[in-house]
Amino acid sequence: MKWFWCLFFALAPILAMAVSIASPGYGWWFPSEAASPLGQRIDDLFYMILMITTVTFIGTQIGLVYVLFKGARRTDADVNEKAWFSHGSHELEVIWSVVPAFILLFIALYQLDVWADYRVKNLFPREEMSKLLEEKLHQKRTEHDSLALAEVTARQFEWRIRYPGFDADGHLLPLMPEPQPTDLYAVNDLHMPVKVPVMINLKSQDVQHSFFLPELRVKQDAVPGLVIPVWFEANHQRSYALLCAELCGWGHYKMKAQLVAESDEAFLEYLHELHEQQFFDGVAAEEASDDEDE
Amino acid sequence: MNTRSTLIIASLGLLPMLGCGNSTPQFSNRQEFHELEPFAQEYVGEVLETYFGTPTESVAWEKLPLKFHYADTTVAGEPTGRKVQFSLTDAPTQIGSGTEVVFLTAEQRNLASARIREWDAETRTATFETKLANIPSTGASALIGPGAVLKDGRMLYAEHCQHCHGVSGDGAGPTAQYLNPRPRDYRLGKFKFTTTKYEHRAQRGDLARVIEEGIPGTYMPSFKLLEPAESEAIVEYVMWLSMRGELEYVLTTLLKEYASEYVAQRVADGESYEAIRDKFLADIQSGGMSDTVQEQAGYIAEAWAASQTPDALVEVKVKRIPSSPESIARGRQLFLDANIKCSQCHGEAGYGNGPQTYSMMPDADIPGLFDDWGNPIKPRNLHTGIFRGGRRPYDLFCRIRASVKGTPMTRLDALPDEDVWHLVNYVYSIPYEEEIAGAGKEAQAAAPAEAEPVQPEKEVASN
Ligand code: HEC
Ligand code: HEC
Ligand SMILES: [Cu+2]
Repeated sequence: MKWFWCLFFALAPILAMAVSIASPGYGWWFPSEAASPLGQRIDDLFYMILMITTVTFIGTQIGLVYVLFKGARRTDADVNEKAWFSHGSHELEVIWSVVPAFILLFIALYQLDVWADYRVKNLFPREEMSKLLEEKLHQKRTEHDSLALAEVTARQFEWRIRYPGFDADGHLLPLMPEPQPTDLYAVNDLHMPVKVPVMINLKSQDVQHSFFLPELRVKQDAVPGLVIPVWFEANHQRSYALLCAELCGWGHYKMKAQLVAESDEAFLEYLHELHEQQFFDGVAAEEASDDEDE
Repeated sequence: MNTRSTLIIASLGLLPMLGCGNSTPQFSNRQEFHELEPFAQEYVGEVLETYFGTPTESVAWEKLPLKFHYADTTVAGEPTGRKVQFSLTDAPTQIGSGTEVVFLTAEQRNLASARIREWDAETRTATFETKLANIPSTGASALIGPGAVLKDGRMLYAEHCQHCHGVSGDGAGPTAQYLNPRPRDYRLGKFKFTTTKYEHRAQRGDLARVIEEGIPGTYMPSFKLLEPAESEAIVEYVMWLSMRGELEYVLTTLLKEYASEYVAQRVADGESYEAIRDKFLADIQSGGMSDTVQEQAGYIAEAWAASQTPDALVEVKVKRIPSSPESIARGRQLFLDANIKCSQCHGEAGYGNGPQTYSMMPDADIPGLFDDWGNPIKPRNLHTGIFRGGRRPYDLFCRIRASVKGTPMTRLDALPDEDVWHLVNYVYSIPYEEEIAGAGKEAQAAAPAEAEPVQPEKEVASN
């Protein structure tokens, strides 16, 4: 019976390893490969930590199993070995405090620049973003204007989106902190240019929500009363899931939306289309042009 | 030991059942129905069951102007026992392997039915699983997916809408009690935010827009990610529930003389209960009642069908007048006008606190306004910048021209288009008006000169 339990507990870590190795093959893994450059760096961090924990896990399990078998053998009738009394061993205490501390410190320092690039406003890829706005989208802006292309407001239970509109000459305006008569509105359908960093301003109208783009590895809480800038860059021209990752009420599961990453031209065209729809006055286009002819 | 473990396993098996009351869903009936004498209740229940069925076994009543089937089409080309081509202009995306097809004789009788094994959307040709019993002739009519739209609509409705709007569309699902405004009770056939004239019902497009965009400022969420075919199916189902509810409403109203209260009165006045009941049953026997049912259903069907035509839409003859200080001033003047009365409800400053919100309406127990569903209702605070029925100029034009249906909000049939546009421009300007008056310096500095920037200090809800 003794050896049965020893084997049993030795098998548990082996089984855990086997399941972990097999699981990606069964689709129990990340939602696709990271679809943004920052997401890839986040994945790299994740894999590094996974490696550290794997090595640690294997090491500690080997130690445990060794101790288990050794201890079990000592209880055999013919063995007369004494246990080693390690309590209060200064050396051991120092080793197992300092080694993990170094590992943790290393992780903390190593991830700093990914974190900073993601969250520190001054390190946002501002130049690329303003280049997009000025050169590709022809936005009329000053340096004081927001770099955000949309304001995303979470509410129970949907994502309301406000884009800046166009001026009388058809130039894209900058996004203002407060709603403007020219603004364009959408819901649950966020469009953004592809392969370039873009920024949104995240708000909440009621409770705490979380803006989650799983494939892009972007997750940011929306906090009532705060305007939180979030930047991301989608690698591929397609639509991605946009979810709420904070249990925000009974209808939390309903907050399913999409991010559509498309070319700059398609994005502008989308905004123009929204403009057409939103300023529709009930007079069909042909009739209207007839009127102008007269 | 053994018995105990079986007990535990058995009770674990029960757990999931306890949680989610898995009885089959039932249509509920309106209050007026329950006030009827049992014999009248039985009759109304039978009529509804015959023509509409139950939530799980619904009946596609051809009298109703609804799209029940994926396609109602005819046979084209050279049909064989296995392969049939159909004349369809565009192939509905839902058709695929497993879809049922029914071929009809000239008398609309079932000639043959079969399931599609392969569907070629390009040539609109179906290959069937089994050979057809009777090969239809070219030009014969056929239903692809008979009743399937209704069935799809029911599944989607149960998944997305039922917990708020209720199984029968009575707006009383389990989550409804926590919401204000209440989810819509479809059974009056009335919808608030439509582009149709006052006397008309909602168009399919109106319902689809509400479902896709949601109603900002209320708990009605957006279902933007539904496929177009899914959205269409839900719309048909909502209309179907609406028609069912309307028929129930009409019948219970017509049979009011058989309400328990009146019957008891008549019995007290000396009539015999049996005589009253027998007269009713005789009426049913003679077919008089079923004629009435058909007639009333016909009215409902006609009203819905008429509302789907372009003529039913609110007409705009004059293009929107661009917003300008003069137009806004004119709109403000109209808003305050004693005959137009906007400020009676919305208040002179548009905060939704006009005198009618605290005056007593006839037949009411508490002061204020009520909607047609009997719920207390507040005129909108126009400073929020939220437009529940949509923010297009056309939407606001329709609100002012044709009212928010089912609410006391006025409609202005006779006001010239120009004046309606002035009102619309004024309504648009209300969320920004304080700022225009007071702001200026900093607001102007932050934004480009051309944009006519307005930067309100207070929070304008961003919907
Ligand atoms: C969270 C609860 C909720 C859910 C879920 C919900 N609704 Fe609603 N719905 C509402 C509320 C509340 C209103 C009333 C808003 C008002 O009166 O302004 C409403 C109104 C409506 C209206 C009336 C619009 C009008 O013009 O009068 C329709 C139609 C409708 N809902 C359809 C649906 C459909 C279809 C679904 C499912 C796809 C659905 N709703 C899901 C809460 C909900
Ligand atoms: C008898 C009272 C009453 C009068 C008079 C009235 N309204 Fe309303 N109004 C309401 C109510 C009640 C609502 C809210 C309806 C709802 O959504 O439940 C409303 C809603 C509105 C809305 C919001 C529509 C939306 O999509 O959210 C606008 C805009 C509006 N009214 C403008 C006007 C204008 C302009 C006038 C004058 C022509 C006017 N109202 C007159 C009661 C009134
Ligand atoms: Cu949420």
